[in-house]
Amino acid sequence: MYFPYFIAYMAVGFAVSLGVFFWALNRGQFKDQERARYLPLEQRASAPAAKLTRKGRIETVGLFALACCGLAASATAIVFALTQAR
Amino acid sequence: MSPAEESTAHGNQTAKAFTLTSAMWFAFATTFGMIAAGYLVAPDFMANVEYIHFGRVRPMHVNAVLFGFVTPGLIAAAFYYIPRLLRTRLYSERLGVFSAVFWNISVAAGMAGVALGYSQGREYAELPWLVDIMIVISFGLVIVNFLMTIRRRTEPILYVSIWYAAAAVVLTACTYLLGNVVWKPDTGALAGIPDAILLWFYGHNVFGLLLSPMALAVAYYVLPIATRSPLYSHTLSLIGFWSLIIVYTHIGTHHLLQVPVPTWLKTISIVDSVAMVIPVMVFLINIWYTVKGKLGDVHADIGAKFIFTGTIYYFFVNIQGSMMALPDVQRITHFNNWVVGHAHMGVLGFAGVTALGGLYFILPRITGRPLHSRFLADFQYWLVLIGITGFSIVLTIVGLIQGQAWYNGETLYRTLPGLQPYFITRLSLGLLIMVGAYTGLYNVARSLYFNRGAAA
Repeated sequence: MYFPYFIAYMAVGFAVSLGVFFWALNRGQFKDQERARYLPLEQRASAPAAKLTRKGRIETVGLFALACCGLAASATAIVFALTQAR
Repeated sequence: MSPAEESTAHGNQTAKAFTLTSAMWFAFATTFGMIAAGYLVAPDFMANVEYIHFGRVRPMHVNAVLFGFVTPGLIAAAFYYIPRLLRTRLYSERLGVFSAVFWNISVAAGMAGVALGYSQGREYAELPWLVDIMIVISFGLVIVNFLMTIRRRTEPILYVSIWYAAAAVVLTACTYLLGNVVWKPDTGALAGIPDAILLWFYGHNVFGLLLSPMALAVAYYVLPIATRSPLYSHTLSLIGFWSLIIVYTHIGTHHLLQVPVPTWLKTISIVDSVAMVIPVMVFLINIWYTVKGKLGDVHADIGAKFIFTGTIYYFFVNIQGSMMALPDVQRITHFNNWVVGHAHMGVLGFAGVTALGGLYFILPRITGRPLHSRFLADFQYWLVLIGITGFSIVLTIVGLIQGQAWYNGETLYRTLPGLQPYFITRLSLGLLIMVGAYTGLYNVARSLYFNRGAAA
């Protein structure tokens, strides 16, 4: 009989998560979200934005091609599995 | 002097120590992986050397990647961004350096233990009992430093990266203790089905509640800075965080759909696996909108380039993961190399590549000098990217061949000759990744300790 241990663990985890969530709620962690967006950017000197170079463009195309290969392999396998696994 | 400048002045020793740790174990881990891949091509390959036969070198590879390379790499970045986001100094650099040293001793002890045959024989939880305790202590030291820094913050709002990083280390310390059944030092395991459930609760959470949140935290910090854009939506990022915490915890049982696990637990694992689409798409929409129209900036920063690539792999691996939890799909994809491909996409393609991006992003900032060689970092990027993409394709094909053969009742040995070309290709691709790892180690070591570049 092991279910009670798992259920107890899940319940404790859920309770602790709720506790932290309400702590955050009461401490105003969900307020001022507009300022929070800028937190990583503060205290940094601004510099001109970089333009996409020719090399960068080639890399982007290469990356996109590799990504398409991966996506095609995954999609093929999933379609194949769904049509064959009966 | 601002806290950030003060921190730089104090040397960022902890971030440096974890950076070197990650680069070093990446090289070792890929070497172990190459040896393991060699056995799949030629089973007699080094078979007389008992310390590195397949049954030992494979768990050495897996654990070195998880706890030697990826986690320390992501922690290195966390030790950089946590004080800066909280506008304070790190609680204790001395404790941080000690934790890095202790971390290395723990991982090295684990490798030695497994090499000598002291394995607990449970996938992802092979490390001997004493090392389990040392790993938990290592996490404990990091937790103290993280939480005490949060306590001493001057910035009241916790940016989403702080939430992810803090949750990851705290949850993993608990998950590691439970998953490795540390209260049973002699076996490190329960008996029967409960052990399988607990093992996969732990095994999947190492990825979902350690590597994923730590990697997302790095992406949320680095990409806005690299593209000079505020985060698209901080509210959305918090929705992603809380949904990940709720959904990810109980999906491990989707590894056990073919075994007599209670149906309610299987149902929870499948529903939660599919529901993972929510936190994943929330993150991706948020981060891709943040960098929208700024690809030039992403390319200009080698760290951001690695991390952006990691987000693409995050998309693939999670869509795969959600689909693989469906019983119909799993009949073909489970118990074969498809899962090995999936694991490599997740741990290297997403979390590992993001860790490398984090290292390259912080290196110039923690040393105050430019990277030793941007060319070598780019070279490593392409070696790793071609290697992991090739892995994904080759292992997916091998998995489908094996899955179909098994599904149709084919005898195992009859499939093996047809698989060998794929395993040779895999070995070659692994060589690219290993060369990339050693290139990275050289670049990181030179950047840290023998850098003659002008101070920034």
